[in-house]
Amino acid sequence: MENSGYFFAAFAIVWAVLFAYVVLLVRRQVRLKQEIEALKGMLKEKSLLDQRYNS
Amino acid sequence: MRLPLRKAFVIAWKDILSESRTRDILSSVAVFALLTIVIFNFAFEPGSDNVELVAPGVLWVTFTFAGVLGLGRSFVFEKEKGCLEGLLLCPVDRDVVYLGKMLGSLAFMLAVEIIVVPIFLVLFDLPLFLPQLALITLLATVGFVSVGTLFSALAVNTRARDVMLPILFFPIVAPVIIAAVQASGLALEGQSWSTMSSWLQIMGVFDAIFIVISALVFEFVVEE
Amino acid sequence: MSRILLGISFGLMMAALYLVFIYVPTEETMGVVQRIFYFHVPVAWVSFLAFFVVFIGSILFLWKRDEKWDMLARSSAEIGIVFTSLVLITGPIWAKPAWGVWWTWDARLTTTLIMWVIYVSYLMVRSFAVEESRGARFAAVVGIVGFVDIPITAIAITLWRTQHPRPVIFEGGLAPSMLLTLIICVAAFTLLYVYLLLQAISLKQAEADLGKISQALRG
Repeated sequence: MENSGYFFAAFAIVWAVLFAYVVLLVRRQVRLKQEIEALKGMLKEKSLLDQRYNS
Repeated sequence: MRLPLRKAFVIAWKDILSESRTRDILSSVAVFALLTIVIFNFAFEPGSDNVELVAPGVLWVTFTFAGVLGLGRSFVFEKEKGCLEGLLLCPVDRDVVYLGKMLGSLAFMLAVEIIVVPIFLVLFDLPLFLPQLALITLLATVGFVSVGTLFSALAVNTRARDVMLPILFFPIVAPVIIAAVQASGLALEGQSWSTMSSWLQIMGVFDAIFIVISALVFEFVVEE
Repeated sequence: MSRILLGISFGLMMAALYLVFIYVPTEETMGVVQRIFYFHVPVAWVSFLAFFVVFIGSILFLWKRDEKWDMLARSSAEIGIVFTSLVLITGPIWAKPAWGVWWTWDARLTTTLIMWVIYVSYLMVRSFAVEESRGARFAAVVGIVGFVDIPITAIAITLWRTQHPRPVIFEGGLAPSMLLTLIICVAAFTLLYVYLLLQAISLKQAEADLGKISQALRG
């Protein structure tokens, strides 16, 4: 099969680029989850502080 | 004369007056255009055949760069002096402001071209009086200015304003450049109007469409 | 909902792979390389579809001033640029063995190149704007002007290219097996685009909501 190298290259690149984009989306989601955890922590601290002031 | 159109002419006239007093942007852009043409000549072998092939391209690439330079300068100046804010405070429709600025820029670019084109024709040893070339230049310049005014108002509000305008401008005016170069090539060969009619049509359609669209979206660009 | 979409999209992709690699017969003149066509064309179609979505989203954003339209436009632009880049990569990879040159200023590829640059300027305008809200509006303007420019550019470039000799893309029509393969591939990539678009939008929405919450908490 002549030229099959080119065919493979085209297919591999399409796959690789799409895969890279999906990885990008996943990374952003992970970062999002980390921020949610951080905010949850802040919320807990804030409610503890409020308790201490109010009681 | 309809009132909005008259307001647009007033705005344009203000720009024309302020530029005609100092003439510094006009002269600097014209000199830049001439220098660009000269430098282009160093890129090619001097003498006959090649010259006719590359001349239209040289002319329009030069005007593209010079146009971006001129358009950029005029809005930067306005922003620095706060003129644009002052203009927007007036109870004028935003599309009228756009029209006024566009006509002012058109006058400016035509002034540059009137100076540069004859010198270009002499440098390349081409026929001097060509009504076709005049029409092509007019249509193409209107095209440049229609989109250029919109984008330079936009670019002036960004961080890298000098580079943002070309990046926005060049791809959008690609059809105008293609049409202008092809039609100019035909005109310089002395061909009749009919051969270049499709190119003229493309430029005409481009001009009409983009004047309308730019006028419509201009308000979104200048609002705070 | 998006699970179903993912499932169907995956299924179609698998079917497409089978069709492209095993089912469809090899074309005589170009050989195996011609099969790139079955990726190249669907990806090109999706890139234009994505740009159209950017156009619609931009208009709706400027008209309704609702952030969600901006998110639609922006997500479609990101995915669109990915797909457009793929067109510009697979094109030359196909052209080199098929016609011997990487690039021929062929009308379709050149228009795609211009479209790619306009996409890039769309995203650049956002990051170079002074404030985010203005950046969104600037981008919408670019999205509208850019999309309207594409057909005119395509016409101009096609007219320009007919004056110079160029390689012919296809002689004659498509055999039915090829047509089937092409259609399945187009469907598979289109669904993939829709799925990625929905994911990107929901991600942006979550980021925006989170931003507001954290501001409320800290302020």
